[in-house]
Amino acid sequence: MAETLETEIAVRHSNRRKKKKRPVTWSLIKSQNQLIWMSVPLMLYIILFAYVPVWGWTMAFQNYRPAKSFSEQEWVGFKQFKFLFTDDNFLRVLRNTLSMGIINLVLGFVTAIVLALLLNEIKNVLWKRTVQTISYLPHFLSWIIVTGIVATSLSINDGIVNIVLMKLHLIKEPILWLSEGKYFWGIVGASHVWKEVGWNTIIYLAAIASIDPALYEAAEIDGASRYRKMQFVTLPGIKATIVILMIMSIGHVLEAGFEVQYLLGNGLVVDWAETIDIFVLKYGLAQGNYSLATAGGIFKTVVSVTLLLMANGISKRLGEERLL
Amino acid sequence: MGGKSKRTFKVSLITLLSLSFALAGCGGNNNSNTKDNAKAEETGAAQTAGAADTGDKIEPFNISVFLGQAGQQPTPDNKIYKKIKDETGASFNFEFLAGDINQKLGVMIAGQDYPDMMTGNTKLTAAGAYIPLEDLIEQYAPNLKAHYADYWNMMKDPNDGHIYILPNYGVYNGKVNSSWYSGPAFWIQKAVLKEFGYPQVKTLDEYFDLIEKYKEKYPKIDGSPTIGFEILNYDWKNWGLFNAPQHLIGHPNDGGVVVKDGVAEIFADKDYAKQYYQKLNEINQKGLIDKETFVQNYDQYMAKLSSGTVLGMFDQHWNFNAAEDSLTTQGKIERTYVGLPLVYDKATKDYYRDLAVLNLNNGFGISINAKDPVKIIKLLDTLIQEDWQKTFSWGIEGEDYIVENGRFMRTQEQRDNAADATWQLANKAKALFDFLPKTEGSFSDGNSTDAAAQPEEYKAGLKPFDKEVLDAYGFDTYVDFFSEPPANPVYYPAWSIDLIEGSDAKIANTKLTELQTKFLPKAILASPEEFDSVWTDYVGEIKKANVKAYEDKINEQIKWRIDNWSK
Repeated sequence: MAETLETEIAVRHSNRRKKKKRPVTWSLIKSQNQLIWMSVPLMLYIILFAYVPVWGWTMAFQNYRPAKSFSEQEWVGFKQFKFLFTDDNFLRVLRNTLSMGIINLVLGFVTAIVLALLLNEIKNVLWKRTVQTISYLPHFLSWIIVTGIVATSLSINDGIVNIVLMKLHLIKEPILWLSEGKYFWGIVGASHVWKEVGWNTIIYLAAIASIDPALYEAAEIDGASRYRKMQFVTLPGIKATIVILMIMSIGHVLEAGFEVQYLLGNGLVVDWAETIDIFVLKYGLAQGNYSLATAGGIFKTVVSVTLLLMANGISKRLGEERLL
Repeated sequence: MGGKSKRTFKVSLITLLSLSFALAGCGGNNNSNTKDNAKAEETGAAQTAGAADTGDKIEPFNISVFLGQAGQQPTPDNKIYKKIKDETGASFNFEFLAGDINQKLGVMIAGQDYPDMMTGNTKLTAAGAYIPLEDLIEQYAPNLKAHYADYWNMMKDPNDGHIYILPNYGVYNGKVNSSWYSGPAFWIQKAVLKEFGYPQVKTLDEYFDLIEKYKEKYPKIDGSPTIGFEILNYDWKNWGLFNAPQHLIGHPNDGGVVVKDGVAEIFADKDYAKQYYQKLNEINQKGLIDKETFVQNYDQYMAKLSSGTVLGMFDQHWNFNAAEDSLTTQGKIERTYVGLPLVYDKATKDYYRDLAVLNLNNGFGISINAKDPVKIIKLLDTLIQEDWQKTFSWGIEGEDYIVENGRFMRTQEQRDNAADATWQLANKAKALFDFLPKTEGSFSDGNSTDAAAQPEEYKAGLKPFDKEVLDAYGFDTYVDFFSEPPANPVYYPAWSIDLIEGSDAKIANTKLTELQTKFLPKAILASPEEFDSVWTDYVGEIKKANVKAYEDKINEQIKWRIDNWSK
């Protein structure tokens, strides 16, 4: 009995493998025609909104003037890219973008995972929900409001940060936080965490919820403490989620943001605050030079895709989950 | 799934798809349809407009308007808009700016998505978003033609000679009563002047001396620390930091350049600029400059001014007007400001106050998408007539103002109403009128076009404290602190020169602004020994930027203006 079952499974297994290799034939297509039909609208959607706009990239190689038609545009080759890459500020801007992107990435991950782990340990459901709600509400504020709050709390006249630090005797004089470049990245990172931590936690909590409770019970029987359970059950349980999200976010590292830096930046910290997006706004959109703005966009896309593929490749090598 | 249900599924999918194709197709078609419609309507409109001329019937029509500044929608039953609708048939659909103007314009231009009327902007001109107006005006708008007669050449776009924008300010008529100075100055709290017995303040040194003495005497105002001097440098509001040096040498506001004998050069790196910033560095050492001045945003700046703790700043009056209104509401008249035309030394004559110029980057243009330009131009032509102008500026006779012996006056209640923002939304067409072509100066009956500038009104509205200040100096209005402006040079002002989107000149200008924003605060906050080295770095960086392209463009345009605008 057991033998037959085993062979049956083996046969099925090989069948499945065979199926995978089965060539695509008309009869196969016909037999799956519902599936194919169902995918058509989605394909159309993607072609229309993801591939057709790529046509606009031609702008980057022109001296684009809005009122003229495509054939009347002046083609300038790589002039816009040359301007972008040879500008004195570009390296600095790139450095800022990358640094803030990485800071946001790391801080965002660490805080979200830690908060998820901590929330998971709370047994009082009402309290847990309250904490969760409070922590994700700032996500719904726009950056303009958040930066307003940040600027006010960092002010030297009755800004809460300075007051607290003074009361704790950590500093003697109020610090003018927004005037020093060395603090700027940290402020941006902290604002991101404050705004997004609760929101980012949600997906980890969902992943934690899907862990088989039997594992916890087993661990408990083996005498694992809370921390051990976190370490050997919860964390491995959400590893797949973490890796996938990490790969996706690495693709967005160059999207360090625009609003925060634009709204909090000032002359004194400009060397640390200017990101690619601000640079492109200043020398592209604000000048009516849409071509340069497009060139900036292409640069970012290319870098992002490269980073994404790299992260994916590394993950594959390490035998971890991957996206593609 | 049975055979039948399979078929229904297939059929419904196909229907769905074909429907979506059809819809997608419709999108494109629709566009060309509307274009055709627009053409058809245009010809039709010309006819109806002709019919309207004979005055037999008022056709209602709607105009969509984009206003390039933030604002509030008027109430649906607004008195003035209702009157316009009753008498001309026109109703308006306003879109106010929300967020960043460049971003908004970028989106509008990319989509070629323009309303009927838009406020003037060089970006829109460059994108070909406006229709040329000169023929329309010649043909349909005799009143506008007469209104702009003296300025006709100035209104032409330097690049192609067409008129795209009807400027809203700068066309004067009759005697100009001015009781309010809106331009740049060094402002000082009235309380400071009172404290020291209303001294004459002419130079920068005298000004900072007063502030220093006052701050010493009163380290706190209403419980908060006194702030000596504020410099706002936030986003595009950067003149508080940049513009003072040109005024201190007795030059009017030309933006980023000083023009001598028709030749422009930037002044950001000149010695007289250095002198000013070194002075700021010096007073910063004395703790007179607000520590937060370079990190604050406009809201924080306004909040500080509104609290009455700021003794002085360099700014344009219109920029902080709202803070003064707030101080007045709080009853802190002594904390509002007097504008002083400071110079480096008493030998220099101040030239802050200028004769208003035609503002070419403002007002209305008609977009290429406007369904019915003729109707719009005719409406504008109607609205420039004197009775309409009176309705816009003064309101409705008997309700918003009274007439005594031919002079327009307001009762106290009407005066209070006029200052009330909520009342304005229901009873004034402020948003529209701000951008409309308008008569400035006085009407043919001698009344002032601006209620606040009517001398009787101004006197009646003065608070006792203001009377005291003015009496002490022997002036009628605060404008008298400034020298009478000489006639404007033909090219004036250089700041209204369009640098052309994307040109080297514009890039150089952006660079220059960036360097100033970065280095000037650094120089001011540096220790006195370091000042010179920061300044040297700054001048070096400016040398590297392509400033010449910027100066050349300005000079080219100045020459063009002299050639084309001279009568």
